[in-house]
Amino acid sequence: MSGGAQALLSVRDLRVGFATEGGTVRAVDGVSFELAPGEVLAIVGESGSGKSVTAQTILGLTGSSNARIEGSVRLGETELLGAGEATLRGVRGDRVAMIFQDPMTSFNPVYRVGAQIVEAIRAHRGEVSKQEARQRAIELLDSVGIPDAGRRVDSYPHELSGGQRQRAMIAMALTLEPEVLIADEPTTALDVTVQAQILRLLGRLNRERGLATILITHDFGVVAEVADRVLVMHEGRIVERGSLDDVFYSPTDPYTRGLLDAIVRLDQAPPLRAARESENLLEVRDLVKHYPVRGGLLRRDSHSVRAVDGVGFDLRHGETLGLVGESGSGKSTLCRALLGLIEPTSGSVRFEGREIAGLSRRRMRPLRREMQMVFQDPYASLNPRRRAGQIVAEPLRLQGEARGGELRGRALELLGRVGLGPEHYDRFPHELSGGQRQRVGIARALALRPKLIVADEPVSALDVSIRAQILDLLAELQEDFGLTYLFVAHDIGVVRHVSDRIAVMHEGRIVEIGPADEVCERPRDAYTEELLAAVPVPDPRLARERHNVESE
Amino acid sequence: MYGGRTSLLIGFAAALLTTLLATVLGLLAGYFRGWTDAVISRALDVVWAFPVTLLAIALGLALAVGGLSIGPLHLSGSSLWIPILIIGTVYVPYMARPIRGEVLSLREKEFVEAAEAQGAGPLRVMFGELLPNLWSTIIVFFTLGVANSMLLEAMLSFLGVGVQAPETSWGTMVGSGFQLITSAPQLSLIPGAMILLTVLSVNVFGDGLRDALDPHSKLRLEVHAGMPEPEGTAV
Amino acid sequence: MGRFVVRRLAGMVAVLFAVSVLTFLIFNVIPSSDPAQRMAGKNATPRLVANITEEWGFDESLPQQYLTMMEKIFSGEVISYEGREDVDERILEGVGPTFSLCIGAAVLWMFFGILFGYLSATRAGGLLDRVLTIVAVAGISMPVFLIGEVLLVYLTYKTGILPSGGYVELAESPLEWGEHLVLPWVTLAIVYVGIYSRVLRSNMLDAMNEDYVRTARAKGLSERRVMSRHVMRNSLVPIVTLFGLDFGALLGGAIVVEAIFSLNGIGEYAYISLINTDLPPIMAITLFGAFFVVLFNALVDIAYAYLDPRVKLGESAR
Repeated sequence: MSGGAQALLSVRDLRVGFATEGGTVRAVDGVSFELAPGEVLAIVGESGSGKSVTAQTILGLTGSSNARIEGSVRLGETELLGAGEATLRGVRGDRVAMIFQDPMTSFNPVYRVGAQIVEAIRAHRGEVSKQEARQRAIELLDSVGIPDAGRRVDSYPHELSGGQRQRAMIAMALTLEPEVLIADEPTTALDVTVQAQILRLLGRLNRERGLATILITHDFGVVAEVADRVLVMHEGRIVERGSLDDVFYSPTDPYTRGLLDAIVRLDQAPPLRAARESENLLEVRDLVKHYPVRGGLLRRDSHSVRAVDGVGFDLRHGETLGLVGESGSGKSTLCRALLGLIEPTSGSVRFEGREIAGLSRRRMRPLRREMQMVFQDPYASLNPRRRAGQIVAEPLRLQGEARGGELRGRALELLGRVGLGPEHYDRFPHELSGGQRQRVGIARALALRPKLIVADEPVSALDVSIRAQILDLLAELQEDFGLTYLFVAHDIGVVRHVSDRIAVMHEGRIVEIGPADEVCERPRDAYTEELLAAVPVPDPRLARERHNVESE
Repeated sequence: MYGGRTSLLIGFAAALLTTLLATVLGLLAGYFRGWTDAVISRALDVVWAFPVTLLAIALGLALAVGGLSIGPLHLSGSSLWIPILIIGTVYVPYMARPIRGEVLSLREKEFVEAAEAQGAGPLRVMFGELLPNLWSTIIVFFTLGVANSMLLEAMLSFLGVGVQAPETSWGTMVGSGFQLITSAPQLSLIPGAMILLTVLSVNVFGDGLRDALDPHSKLRLEVHAGMPEPEGTAV
Repeated sequence: MGRFVVRRLAGMVAVLFAVSVLTFLIFNVIPSSDPAQRMAGKNATPRLVANITEEWGFDESLPQQYLTMMEKIFSGEVISYEGREDVDERILEGVGPTFSLCIGAAVLWMFFGILFGYLSATRAGGLLDRVLTIVAVAGISMPVFLIGEVLLVYLTYKTGILPSGGYVELAESPLEWGEHLVLPWVTLAIVYVGIYSRVLRSNMLDAMNEDYVRTARAKGLSERRVMSRHVMRNSLVPIVTLFGLDFGALLGGAIVVEAIFSLNGIGEYAYISLINTDLPPIMAITLFGAFFVVLFNALVDIAYAYLDPRVKLGESAR
């Protein structure tokens, strides 16, 4: 960054506090930084670090009426904090634009996408006619890579794919050619491959237009891909700042160092696991699950959604098979079909030699002790009205394994195994952190001493630092209990870290399967290659190398 | 004052009946979906299609005068059970629909899947997992039900098809007082005011309860709106 | 669209069929006394009863009875034995007053309901909000007949400002038409104002917290535009569907209000028939009302699909 360049945006000693029942919560506690013209500044932190609140406060969008804001936010010569409605309105969209995490909810569902862009244009440039504005909207949609922009401009938000929606959101932000773009977790809700595309787009916009960007994210891989400078936030404060390389390769702050160490990386080969020769626990052949889509009362089924379209694989005793797939690949459906929660349309699933596909609920019941599931969402996977102890004890009670006092004892033991203490027994889920909740879910899955555990995205919803802990816990439990895992995730880096073998799933089929190292380093299928290429690596040098290779 | 007791009794009992039926139907329809849901929803539709007041009046007319005899069950026309049954069943669709809706969305949550994965059968899932999460909705509906039931009872009695002699309720008092409205309005207005005050208290209490239990529930006002007023949505 | 209409029509017919069967059961089967006796009314002679029994086929099997009844109703031959008049004609006559009442009240309650709801939501937590909420809850808690009575007593009997009842044709004298309808309109509207203002308030408060409102502000739209184009547009959708359902149910006649104010509408006719235990009109009116309920349910579903592009035709708005 050339010395002497006037800072575009200057934030000084920003403090944001929210009045809650438990006292004042200091979301942002003395944050100061500057944004230089044309640079990409990444603000990275875990949930609760205050990064989003900071971004929103810049434009006065904090939203809550019981927020106390102090400090200064200067855009050039204009002070934004405490500025009047008219000033802020003039700045928003015109000089500083913002895009948000979830493009589905960030668009008004009842208006067409084009209309919402036109609205932005005419709010600031009233003299522009509707036709002109619409033309401009089409151009913008085109410039962000939306195919067939002339027609898409009249689509409703729900008619676009996730990636297209986010592009449209970006287009809308660019309408008035702002000087600054604030992007709040712009890719978190998107698939890996789509994320890569959006990041490339943001990078291009930054280079071609000199658009200064503030990027808020929790993902260090994303940061390594696009950022020039980095700020690390923790509990409302900036704990580390510097250039991209400085922060990644020579962090001074212990929290930052811990965070970087905890990141599970795709290119790090995990410690070698003892080769296992053993029998098959699970054999799946030609598994198919179709969902018919009704065309209407007087029409027969016009087509079906092929969630699982002919899947076959073996799962050996004691191994961990990683299943990688993006949303819509069918991996979740597959999990549920394996456990008998969904009835497959056809195909075979053999557990220890016995056919279990399509068994009645009653016959399935005793088998449930052998196979259990850990779910993705730590919020939704626990009954909010039950205490942790009860949740863990429930399977024991259902299967008649224990009663009364013994139940409690077993539950406490299980909680201990997953790293929770007796004080957690009586807590409700909303009284536990995400990581703790996930531990409860794991304890619940273990209760019946199953042989197989299917883990459906068990760490995706957790913070980076917690992820490593949970993965370690799972590995430990596998050793102690002799478990077999089917580990499902969309993050191939995480999957590699834990798996012996990896299967890649795409549109209902397994397109590649093999030892973890081979799949990750010498993929044979084109989709697998695409997937691997799209994963952002939290290593700036590697990211640059990759970009250089791509642009050749 | 004695009439007040009757009004309250009928209000509570009817609301209890409605809540019970609506909860069971809502759970069944929401959990099983498919055919069960189709049948239950169609049945609810039919009852819904009857303008509430007219249905209540029609039933009242049919039953209040002659009483009810089905097999071993014999109820005289003046039995309080008649208005309770009538009011209780008439409101069922308005409560069952939203409950069914909530069951449908709760059902998709992973903790229900977890229970199924542990081998829980439908009964267990419905009453052990889903029901505990419905309590706040149910309680809110119940208080609303009490308010509306009292209003409906009052109207039915006012028209002469609700509570029958020898029992009385505030509604019947208003009804008989109506004849003399020009000369002695207070005969009619005072019991009417009692009804108003009681229902008002129930509603205010219900609001407070709602805010305390579930301040962010979207169900709140849709609940209120969904339940027809005895005159409104009425014929 | 065509497919949808066909499906809904079939559904409507099915529901109306079920309604008619239910009505039949209620009036002819459940009560324990002789249907012909009840139908003949209070001044029945044995001869009349015998005639009715034969004409309506009460001595035949149940399904046959049902068919006979349906036939009579649809061919317009239902005659009330009490009032000695043609039921269908009477219903048609009642349409004028009933519809005038409903439409007028609807305009009133929508206007005030939306106004109050808007004011409440935009000044949430403030004094006006609290006052309006109390007014709304009070409105919901009032038995309709009480409102009617209070208004009658104070505005008519004691002070004579407004007439006590009766209906004047619009064509005859618009002024008097209005005069006679003011009290009924207010009576009917009060309850609904309470409901609608609170529903709107709740919807608006929810909408104001939505992400797309944040986006709208981030684009630099004025607060007024954010409110009108984003918050209101989305908040009003449930109101519209609710209105459709309520209005449809009301078109069959608002019994109590019409009775209190002697409006000669369908509702009052129902009331009179009830007092006199005159069954044919009651059956006919029931079907008449149910028809409108079902019709408006279908209209609401169509409107909902139009207002919310995420909903495809055929999904229920409820």
